[in-house]
Amino acid sequence: MKTAVVLILAIVAQAIGNVYLTRAMKAITASSDGGGWTSIVARAIESPVLWLGIALLMVFFALYSAALSWADLSFVLPATAFGYVLNVWAGHYFLNESVSPARWVGAIVITLGVVMVSRSGVSGQEKAEMAGGGR
Amino acid sequence: MMTALMIAIVVLASSAGDVFITRGMKQVGEISTMRVIELARIALRVIANKWFLMGLLSMAMSFFAFLAVLSWADLSFVLPATSLSFVITTAGAKFILKERISRLRLAGTLLVCLGVALISLPE
Repeated sequence: MKTAVVLILAIVAQAIGNVYLTRAMKAITASSDGGGWTSIVARAIESPVLWLGIALLMVFFALYSAALSWADLSFVLPATAFGYVLNVWAGHYFLNESVSPARWVGAIVITLGVVMVSRSGVSGQEKAEMAGGGR
Repeated sequence: MMTALMIAIVVLASSAGDVFITRGMKQVGEISTMRVIELARIALRVIANKWFLMGLLSMAMSFFAFLAVLSWADLSFVLPATSLSFVITTAGAKFILKERISRLRLAGTLLVCLGVALISLPE
């Protein structure tokens, strides 16, 4: 239960953090008046929205690391794979990105693929323990 | 084209960073103490480790490339595309570390490739 709450908070923080990063970077380059990449870097450092995004990604990293201190990577990694779909949804909902049906299906297929890759190192016995143990 | 190049940097630099940091942390040794003075001493050893520093540099490079590509590309494309790191690590395990790749992992890796192909389709 604790693991579920921590990991859900983690992927929500990651998706919202990425929304802020995208918003900040698009705004910075849109308003850049031909000053080259040094002016983009200067604007980036001064952008509160960018720092908010970075802070949320640090929250994600802290929660993810915390979960790894008591749960196995082969459980945590597939459990957070849904983050791929959540990020696509966040891009669509908060940034008005047009997401084609192929892109939705692609994100779901990637999630399945990541679940399979990260579960492939787990032996049969561990799988049984995980299914039984309601962490 | 520029987008593909940037995503390649994001993926390759973060995979390299993982390898370097793992190597550095294994050299430093298992952290089993909770005493503050001991932890501070370990932290000093970590930041003086050249593998760890190379890992940190790779991770930073990956993050800056991620920021750069987000300035022109869609988040709903870029983020799923970063899942290619699973393909890179599987290829690295097979061809560099000569590990045996299970069928489940191979199937999962192929699904990730298929998913990335789907998100890359033009509208």
